[in-house]
Amino acid sequence: MSAYLRNPLVLVWAFLTASTVVSWWMSHDAEITHQFEATITAGVLLIAALKTKFVILYFMEVRHAPAWLKRTMDAWLILLFGLLFGFYFMSI
Amino acid sequence: MSASTATTPSPAAPRTPWRKNKKLDQWLCFWSVPFFFSLFGLVFVPLSWMIPPRSPSSPLPDIVDFMQSQNLLLACVILTLSFGLAPVSNACYLIQMRRMSVSPAFRLALMIGAMIGAIVGMLFPMFCFGLGAFRPGYDPAILAMLYDFGYLAFIGSLGCFCVMWTALGLAILLDKNNILPKWLGYYTVWQFVSELVAAPVWIAKSGPFAWDGLMTFWLAMAIYVPWQFIVYVCIYRAIRNQPEHELDNARPDRNAMIAEPGMRASA
Amino acid sequence: MSDTAVAAATPDPDPIGNVSTPPAHLPGESSMWFFVIGDLFIFAVYFVLYMVYRGQHHALFLQSQQHLNQGIAVINTVVLLSSSLFVALATGAARNGKVRDAFHLFGLAVALGAAFPILKMFEWIPEISAGLTPGTNLFFMYYYVMTGMHLCHVLLGLAILGFVMRDLHVSQRPDIRFVETGATYWHMVDVLWLVLFALLYLLR
Repeated sequence: MSAYLRNPLVLVWAFLTASTVVSWWMSHDAEITHQFEATITAGVLLIAALKTKFVILYFMEVRHAPAWLKRTMDAWLILLFGLLFGFYFMSI
Repeated sequence: MSASTATTPSPAAPRTPWRKNKKLDQWLCFWSVPFFFSLFGLVFVPLSWMIPPRSPSSPLPDIVDFMQSQNLLLACVILTLSFGLAPVSNACYLIQMRRMSVSPAFRLALMIGAMIGAIVGMLFPMFCFGLGAFRPGYDPAILAMLYDFGYLAFIGSLGCFCVMWTALGLAILLDKNNILPKWLGYYTVWQFVSELVAAPVWIAKSGPFAWDGLMTFWLAMAIYVPWQFIVYVCIYRAIRNQPEHELDNARPDRNAMIAEPGMRASA
Repeated sequence: MSDTAVAAATPDPDPIGNVSTPPAHLPGESSMWFFVIGDLFIFAVYFVLYMVYRGQHHALFLQSQQHLNQGIAVINTVVLLSSSLFVALATGAARNGKVRDAFHLFGLAVALGAAFPILKMFEWIPEISAGLTPGTNLFFMYYYVMTGMHLCHVLLGLAILGFVMRDLHVSQRPDIRFVETGATYWHMVDVLWLVLFALLYLLR
């Protein structure tokens, strides 16, 4: 069973967990003002986009999937995070 | 059809007149659907403008005007005359679900969900708006309550429809006979999830979660309308592709029995 | 239904003729991918609308977010990520014929996954007791509706993984397609949470 610890997916998991903690740390200490903390939000969204990309590529195995699926997932990521960023910065 | 020895074989078999079609019962139910739904659509949209829903926080004079309008009266008359077709359109689902390999519990759940859904989601609003239309002279406060009651019953009766579509969706997904396509089962799951998202209508009186809100009404409609259409297209295909010997009411062909006495009658 | 891509995706050889890319493979039933893609797009609409409303009521949303328990949310995120890891490892094990390993790995995944709703109760119950209900304001309505919908997905996913485990346990030759289908659904649940976590708990 311990052979599984050497599986490259564990590295992916380590990155995902670490980036979760980083994004939490970024947001956690933020002084709460009524202004938009654009840097924090941008960072948080970017990390979220990266994390989802990694889960999709490695855990969901889209890396080995047919091209139409790769393109669809990329389209979803770009549309979603593009619109999220867009609407956030539009409202600042 | 009997392999008749008496007649000369013809290159094209004579077409069965529609009256003798073995699936006539299903086709009648099926074709009642566009009629019923169109009528429903007419009643709820251009006639009474009940749909899209009016605001839950409408001012009282607007509510009173609406409840006593001529159009609402006409809409309620049509609804009263036609709501009996609802069970007929629901029968389409049940006949095809019977062919699925899953437990009868699913189609029974759908049937009972449909019954309760029709009562709460269609009859109650009809009574409420009908009271406003057919009985002039109610106190505005009472009309306001009927307005709330009617709309909440119409949009908030999601529980019944959740049960129906859960039953249908699960039945499709678990069905080994593949009567209806698997992707339809998943689409049906979205359908009932969007019903669940409508639950906040009981709480919110304005904004995206009110009964006229973006999240509860408009998104739900965007998912529901294509789904309702697509479901019936799939049912049409299922009825058309259903082998005749599988029909519930398939009777042995009397002529065949006479012509070939050795042939066993099929159930 | 699934490996239609396998025949079509002949990897291109490199200049000296070596073919190193594995053929394209769609894990699990294609109808599950229909569901996953559709669900992701439907949730995407909800996410974007959330951002629009957040922009319109920024102060309200920001203040309301202060009341959320970030700590539990972070733990839940790590819980789901770890659960997904075990699901991915288990899928690989099942493919390699190591059915017992796969069964145990799925067991770990389900144990972690089951922690999610429990932790969520530790989050919701104090909030509701403190009077923060869906009716409190628009943010909380969004919060409860979205996390509630996601929770339903988690519970359904646990049921699906349970069926996968049962199949691994009783079958002589487990149905790999079914394993992959269940795994795909679970990873989707994880992806949705990653976005929810950022939007509800971390945005400033």
